[in-house]
Amino acid sequence: MSEIEAEIKVEPVVSLEEKVQTKVRPETKIEGPEKWGIAHIYSSYNNTIIHMTDLTGGETVSISSGGVHVNADRYESSPFAAMKAANAVVEVAHTKGFTGFHIRVRAVGGVGSRVPGPGAQAAIRALARGGFKIGRIDDVTPIPHDTTRKKGGKRGRRV
Amino acid sequence: MSFEKILRIPNERIAVLIGKSGNVKSKIEQLCYVTLDIDGENGEVFIKSHGNVENIQPFKAMEIVTAIGRGFSPENAMNLLDGDNALHVIDLREFAGKSNANIERIKGRIIGEGGKARKNMENLTGTHISVYGKTVSIIGDTSKLRLVVDAISSISNGSIHGAVYNKLEAANRKNKQEKMQLWENQDVFY
Repeated sequence: MSEIEAEIKVEPVVSLEEKVQTKVRPETKIEGPEKWGIAHIYSSYNNTIIHMTDLTGGETVSISSGGVHVNADRYESSPFAAMKAANAVVEVAHTKGFTGFHIRVRAVGGVGSRVPGPGAQAAIRALARGGFKIGRIDDVTPIPHDTTRKKGGKRGRRV
Repeated sequence: MSFEKILRIPNERIAVLIGKSGNVKSKIEQLCYVTLDIDGENGEVFIKSHGNVENIQPFKAMEIVTAIGRGFSPENAMNLLDGDNALHVIDLREFAGKSNANIERIKGRIIGEGGKARKNMENLTGTHISVYGKTVSIIGDTSKLRLVVDAISSISNGSIHGAVYNKLEAANRKNKQEKMQLWENQDVFY
């Protein structure tokens, strides 16, 4: 009796292991155990764009924005939309075998706002929850040493 | 994970940023999971974050430090932590050119007689406004922030105060109406 039980027990374990192996293989492709990339997060008052690239920054892994996931234009920059965009991006990056990301956050900069909008924090959090290691977080907002003129002309914005 | 950033704030605001026996500084450090390294001589604040990525709020810490540097009291600056609140800084030199007298005049228009204009705008939009040096800074909900920025820039450009208040009131009414409509078609958000 015990032998039969043991046999029955052993079989499903083996099959589970096989399943796990076949499942893991496409995720961690041929490259080494770790594969890092860069997540560029552009966050303004109007939208949040998350663009994942490899370490050179030249090859796109995946890209998504808040406006894709939300209908009303005033919610495009909301933390909720940023979270949805991050989740969409995370899925694609997983299938391409990435394990970690450095993050570069960028506000509008120049003559515009210098602090990242409300979506940046939510996007970073969603990336970390998505199972990626987070490396450096940088602020790469372009800051001028001498500014160009703000748009709107001499008489200002007329509403 | 790591985040590092240097900000500069005016020397006279350093004392406010640190607080009585360091209580403001330690409160920011606790709530945002960062360490603040403050140089009292040249006004440099070095922000460094540590710990779990899900907790840290380095950008909020940046906003709070600049808000305090732009003349807000620590209590008002802490409002940045809740909800959708954000900080916006307007440089008055855009409107006044290089003349200091002109900047003083525009600051007076924004503050109003006995602070009346500023208080009016704060009450109409539920924001906090601080006029300090050559800048005007606003803390408030991101949707309201745009209204106040428009209002302040049109006052600085020479609009009559009454007209600006009317515009803010109209925006409030429109907002209210939109909220009513939101109940009718619920799928707006998704």
